[in-house]
Parts: sequence; structure tokens; C-alpha cells
Amino acid sequence: MNDMAFNRLISTVLLGFSILLWSCGNTDHTIKMKGSDTEVNLAVNLAEAYNKTDPTFSMAISGGGSGLGITSLLNGQADIANSSRPLTEEEQALFKKKNMLLKTVVFAEDATAFVVHSDNPITEIDVKTLSKIMSGQVENWKSVSGQDVPINIYGRQSSSGTYSFIRKKLKIAYSQKAKEMTGNAQILEAIKIDKSGIGYVGAGYISKKIQDNKGIKVLKIKNDADSNAISPLDPTAIKNRLYFFQRPLYQFIPEKSWAKVLSFIQFETKGEGTKIIEKSGYYLIQ
Amino acid sequence: MQYKKRVAIDKIAKIIFKSTGYLVLALLGGIFFMLLYNAIAFFLDVSPLDFITGSQWNPTAAEPAYGILPLIVSTSIVSLGAMLIAIPLGVGTAAFISEYASPKLKTILKPAIEMLAAIPSVVIGFLGIVLVGPGIADLNNLPNGLNALNGAILLAIMALPTIITISEDAIHAVPQTYREASYGLGASRWQTLRKITIPAAAPGIIAAVMLGLGRAIGETMTVLMATGNAAIFPKGFFDSVKTITATIAIEMGEVPYQTTHYYALFAIAIVLFFMTLVANLIGEYFINRFRKYHAA
Repeated sequence: MNDMAFNRLISTVLLGFSILLWSCGNTDHTIKMKGSDTEVNLAVNLAEAYNKTDPTFSMAISGGGSGLGITSLLNGQADIANSSRPLTEEEQALFKKKNMLLKTVVFAEDATAFVVHSDNPITEIDVKTLSKIMSGQVENWKSVSGQDVPINIYGRQSSSGTYSFIRKKLKIAYSQKAKEMTGNAQILEAIKIDKSGIGYVGAGYISKKIQDNKGIKVLKIKNDADSNAISPLDPTAIKNRLYFFQRPLYQFIPEKSWAKVLSFIQFETKGEGTKIIEKSGYYLIQ
Repeated sequence: MQYKKRVAIDKIAKIIFKSTGYLVLALLGGIFFMLLYNAIAFFLDVSPLDFITGSQWNPTAAEPAYGILPLIVSTSIVSLGAMLIAIPLGVGTAAFISEYASPKLKTILKPAIEMLAAIPSVVIGFLGIVLVGPGIADLNNLPNGLNALNGAILLAIMALPTIITISEDAIHAVPQTYREASYGLGASRWQTLRKITIPAAAPGIIAAVMLGLGRAIGETMTVLMATGNAAIFPKGFFDSVKTITATIAIEMGEVPYQTTHYYALFAIAIVLFFMTLVANLIGEYFINRFRKYHAA
């Protein structure tokens, strides 16, 4: 059996199942949103607020990582893909092959924070040292903070947009010793216990309440050894695009779902939603 | 008329049950061929020798490496560790329930153990993150508890119900006459259990262990949450490991379809399939031997 015939067989079977499922539920009003774990909490808050203005509106939101959201879009299983990274060339080619046109919405700006345990003496770090740590060239804190303990890296899984964002920004391959954690919250909890740990999380996950952050310290980042150290929690710096690890948060919407989701998109980019975005620890850039 | 109706109903019932039986076979065959088909596509790109002997799994690197060895070692460390913990606990519990426990205690213990099997794996994984992991870290003075030992302890908990239930059946099924003969020769209860009952039930106990092992190898969510998932080649119980199941679960969500990486996941899935298949077949073999042995 050749490739095409096999794929056709599989898709026929899948189609059969989806028709079966489709006829069971009313999908007209339900918007399916999938993708970035960084954006999930924010998307849920936005959808809840929007629901108050329009009670007929319903939305199914799930995470799984930016890559998963985009794949779901390709497979027709989602109306909106949340993504913390732009499409790769490979993905663009796949959408082109399927003749799917996408609309892109940038609705917020996110900063990724690097965190260490609060007993770690360093308060700032430059990008060059950071890439040496994340790639595994430097495996001991001694040259960085003076403490003679091995470095433990807490990262995300490869399906996470934050994972590929940091990798691209630092232009490295991650150390093989890096642990792959299932989410931002798990990284924070691990750092709270591990005095030799370093990890990266979306700035939205760093609580504004001081007592919640007991045990962790957010590092200020220097672009190079001589420049100013900038905190990911500083809104003016983010607005002026001075923080090294900041990026726009995207939503990709296929053309055919656009009409269905339009009022929600307006709500989050122009309406009440903007206040929620700022309250959740993200930034608006207009 | 009545007779014809009865025959017709019987015929229809036969067809229905036959088709459900064949459906299960078709499902198994279909899954196997889907795995095989995609795995073959992988081996057209990467040589099987590199796949089996490569000591690095890093498909997203600039030069992708598809070595399954670290994954197999990880899965083996975690599941064998789980067995080391679960076998003494499980067989001991089974012997206690069958030989020592009062009937009243038995009626409480047996359902309680079956309840253990009903706990969802994600809950066990959560326990690993908040309880077992930090506990291991504290006891051994480690920076974190996300390692193979954590996974092994959790998988031992998950394999226990299988091991206890089947072992208990096996020990219980040893004919009473064996024990009576042993007591008649003046042997104590402990001597009888150790030298007569457990050896007589051995095939059943081995079957229980193998079925428990099959469960441990195939478990995904728990190890994904609790073992840290570092891709490096593991050296011991205190290293983070990334098992076959966790690798598939993590990478399947983001891999672009019809690429080498995508096919590679099917190739490691087929290896996993064979590992659990062998464990289950050995288990079935000993269960059958045990049945024949005692039927005679």
C-alpha cells in the first residue's frame, strides 16, 4: 500500500469518527482554542469575562504547548491556536499545502523570567553566561555565584513555545541534563526547593504578592557584561522593548473561523479584555 | 413457528458475538500494523543499527540523534526498581491475606487493595511531585527528588494491586492437602509457607509479577510527572530519566506529521509494544502452566 492510499484510509476513518462526534454536540457556538501553556490562564480569564457580556458565547480552552495548538489548527480541531512563537517555515509550508489561510492577532506581550532559589547570592546575569549555563558548558555555580554546587536546570518540554523561544534567543542547544517539567508552576515549585536550580517561566506566573514568591528570586538580565540589568517585572522597560527575553503572544485563526471569533478578538484587543491582560502580568504594546 | 423463531434468535446472537470478538482482533491487528508501517518508514531514513546502539536521543538538535538506548535503560531502571519494591511487598501481602489474616480482616483488606488499582495515574504522579519527590530529596540530601527512584516507588504502588490479587489467588489455590501433609510432618506454619505453599504457587506468582511489570513498563502519566525527563544517559536511581512512554507523550504533541521524528516515535512505540508483550506473554504462559498443574 502506498503512502497516499494509507493516508486516505486513515482520514476516511477519522472523518467517520468526527462526523459521529459532530452530530452529538452543537459546535456552532463553541469556539475551540488550543495551544500555548503560557497563554492558557490568560485565555481562560478573558473568556470568562467575555462570557458575562455575551451569555450565549461558549469556549473550550486547552493547553499543551504552542506546537500542539498549531497542529490542531492544521488538523481542523481548533478555531484559535494560541502561540508564543511565530510559525516555523515548515508549518507555513504545511498550511500552504492544505490551502488554509491564517489570520494573525498579537494580543499581548510576554516576558520570560529566569528564576533561582532565594538563597542564591546572584541578582543579575548576563546573556552570555546564561547561554553557557543553559547549554551545559558551565555546570557549576562556582564561576557564576561563588558557591561550589552543580547547576540544576529546570526547563519546559519541547512542545512548549517558551522552550523554543529561549533556545532561539540564546542560540544554543539545551544541555542534555536539563529536566523537562510539565508546566510553569511545576518549575516554580521545584526552584523553591532546589537551592542549586535555575529555571525559566512566563512572567505572568510570577505572582505580584510577595508572600507567594517565598523561596524564589527573579533574575535581572543584562544584554552584555556592561549594560544595565533589566527586570522582567518592569513595565516601562518592557514597553520600550528593553528586556532581552520578551516576545509577542500570537493567536492564529483560520479564515473560515474568523467570523465566529471576531467579537471575542475585538474584546481582547480593544475592549475590556486589555485590562485583564495587564492585570494578569502581561503587557500591552500599541 | 416458535422453533423457527428460536433458531433465528440464536443465529443473530451468534453473529453479534462473533463480530464483537473479531472486532477486538481487528483492533489489535490494526494498531500493530499502523505501528509497523510507520516504523518501517523510519528505518528507511535511519539505520536500525544506529537506532539500537545510539546512546543519544535528541531529535530536535541540528544533527538529530535517534538512539533508543537511553530510553530503554530509563524504562528498565524505573520498572525493575518498581519490581524490587513491589515483589516483596506484594507477595508478602498476598501470603498474609491467604494464610494468616482472619476472615474478617480479609473482607476489609481485599476490597481495599482493589481500590488502590482505581486511583488514577495522574493522582499518583501528583503524589510523586508533592510528597515522594521532596521526601527522597530530604532523606538523601539531594537538590530535588525528580529521579528514577521516585518513579520506581510510584510504579510499585501502581503494580501492587495486580501482584497481590493474582499472587493471592495462586497461593489460595494450592490444595489444602499439601499444607496438611506438611503440618503432619511437624513443620511450622512459616516452614510450610516458605517450603511448600509458595514453591507450589510459584508459577502463579511469577505470572503476577510479569503482569505487574507489564503495567509498570507501559505507565505514562506518573513517570512523566515524577521522573524529571532529562534526556541524558542515566547512571543510577538518583538521576533524572526520560522513559519511552514519556518521550512519546511529550514529543507526539508537537512533532510535524510525516517527518523522520514523527516516524521515530512509532519506532520506539513498537519497541515498547514488544517489551510489554513479552512481559505479558511470560505472565500468560505461567498462568496457564499453573492452571494445568493444579487441574491434574
